[in-house]
Amino acid sequence: MTERLTAVAGSFRDPANRVYRVDSHNSTRILRGLSAVASEEFKRLSVETFFKRAQERGWIVRTKALGSDDADAKAVLADGWTMVLEHEEVPFVSYPYEWSFSMLRDAALLTLSLLESAMKAGWTMKDGTPFNVQFIGARPVFIDIGSFEPRIDGVSWVGYRQFCSMFLTPLMARAHLGLDHLALMRAHLDGISPSEAAKLFRGTSRLKRGVASHVLLPARIESRILSQERDRKAAQIRKVRPQSDAMVLGLVQSLRRLVNRLPAPIDHTDWSHYDRTHSYEESDLAEKKAFVSKHASKHARGHVWDIGCNTGTFSMLCANNANQVIAIDGDHNAIEQLYLRRTEIKGDNILPLVMNLANPSPNQGWAGNERAAFDKRVKPDLVMALALIHHMRMSANVPNIRFLEWLRSLDCDVIIEFVNRHDEMVVKLLTNKKEQYEDYSLEQFREEVNSLFEIVDSRPLKGGDREIFMLRPKG
Amino acid sequence: MRRSNNVEFTKNRVVNVAVVTVCLSFAGIGPAHAYVDPGSGSVIVTTILGLVAAIGYTFRKYFYKLRGAFRSGPNKAQKRDRFDD
Repeated sequence: MTERLTAVAGSFRDPANRVYRVDSHNSTRILRGLSAVASEEFKRLSVETFFKRAQERGWIVRTKALGSDDADAKAVLADGWTMVLEHEEVPFVSYPYEWSFSMLRDAALLTLSLLESAMKAGWTMKDGTPFNVQFIGARPVFIDIGSFEPRIDGVSWVGYRQFCSMFLTPLMARAHLGLDHLALMRAHLDGISPSEAAKLFRGTSRLKRGVASHVLLPARIESRILSQERDRKAAQIRKVRPQSDAMVLGLVQSLRRLVNRLPAPIDHTDWSHYDRTHSYEESDLAEKKAFVSKHASKHARGHVWDIGCNTGTFSMLCANNANQVIAIDGDHNAIEQLYLRRTEIKGDNILPLVMNLANPSPNQGWAGNERAAFDKRVKPDLVMALALIHHMRMSANVPNIRFLEWLRSLDCDVIIEFVNRHDEMVVKLLTNKKEQYEDYSLEQFREEVNSLFEIVDSRPLKGGDREIFMLRPKG
Repeated sequence: MRRSNNVEFTKNRVVNVAVVTVCLSFAGIGPAHAYVDPGSGSVIVTTILGLVAAIGYTFRKYFYKLRGAFRSGPNKAQKRDRFDD
């Protein structure tokens, strides 16, 4: 029985289909309404070998057509669509501006691989955006079935420019220039145009692999078009020169080689080697792990967020008893390390994301709701904030009570580790700081916690320099 | 296997250098204007890059055919990335 049918805010751009969520008290269904033309195309696509193989391998989201006897399908059909598909639900929707370099690269390679297989079978994709990909755990999955359309002989890939703006330029900015590609992507939701991208690549960086072909050349051609057609001059019709299969497939393959060969050096940051460089003695670490294990796995959890996860030691500890662990850190290289260790992560249920916790992903895009804020997507069952609060207070200047209020707004259990001011890491943080945060003390922290949460359990760690708490929100 | 990698690598570098040289002969990037769709120029871009890529594509196609003629067993190209079919 349909309880609540809502059109997904980020799916309105393609008029040929629309995605809906059906939320009932104990489950969520993801449905897609197709137009008459898209329905006919899906019927042909669903029997293609490449499409079936990709679904079997988990590269394309598992999809089935619903009959009109399905109550939820009926509700979608009533919205003006001809056919309804049901997709496997992605446990947590993440966005490309939250993915590490290798995650974005894998999303790009998956897109190009599917495109190449599709082209060989007489199909193509109408776009080339990373928003067509989601991660189930650390596994990229192509979710936009509506992107596939029959290929017309002699026509090039129309998604090429978008692919360059939204995948290739951010990847090259990180690989060739060492820039934070996530800040660029969050600011440019529709991608970085060639003329903007060309401003990033100066001097010898223009000689780096792929820059001249996929940034400077398009920027130059677009610049010429703009200068020829500006002001009151009429727009000229571009002559479409037929392109052979060798040209179209050759370009896709060369993009794929380029993306695969982009260098991804991981610098040593404070967090990227945390599993080896943390300040804990073995016995203290074992005690901390025992505390987390005891409370995280007391009962089966839905979503667990490990915020400030470093390279994911405690995320992995919780993974056995959670449907989904969202492992978040502001340090790109720590998350990159966690993602690259995906073969060790069993069960596909740890999703690593890069995010500055003092500035989490906001609502943005059209009408401010096309891309949802991080904390508005799914309600967590448990949030872990281990040895994070001193960074929020002393690096981001967020008062403890504000951070606790935000945690309380999530309305779930919390495991939080307080790092006292005598701890060597806090001493290091305060060295050379004029502001000494005199209000930062265990006593005050306890008082603030008590105003919002019930302390279920706590344990001192590192000889009293730290204390770990299990909290439950007060009614 | 090593030999095929070298051949492909050298060819790609030659193609890349040629494209770089063409591009560097251009100068200056103009500002964006609201009524003109600069993206319509990607038809020209994909034609130029497609022509260059077609050379590599055709070369590889015949290279693997030729290699297959001198090797026993299935004539398979090297796996390119984790999403190779």
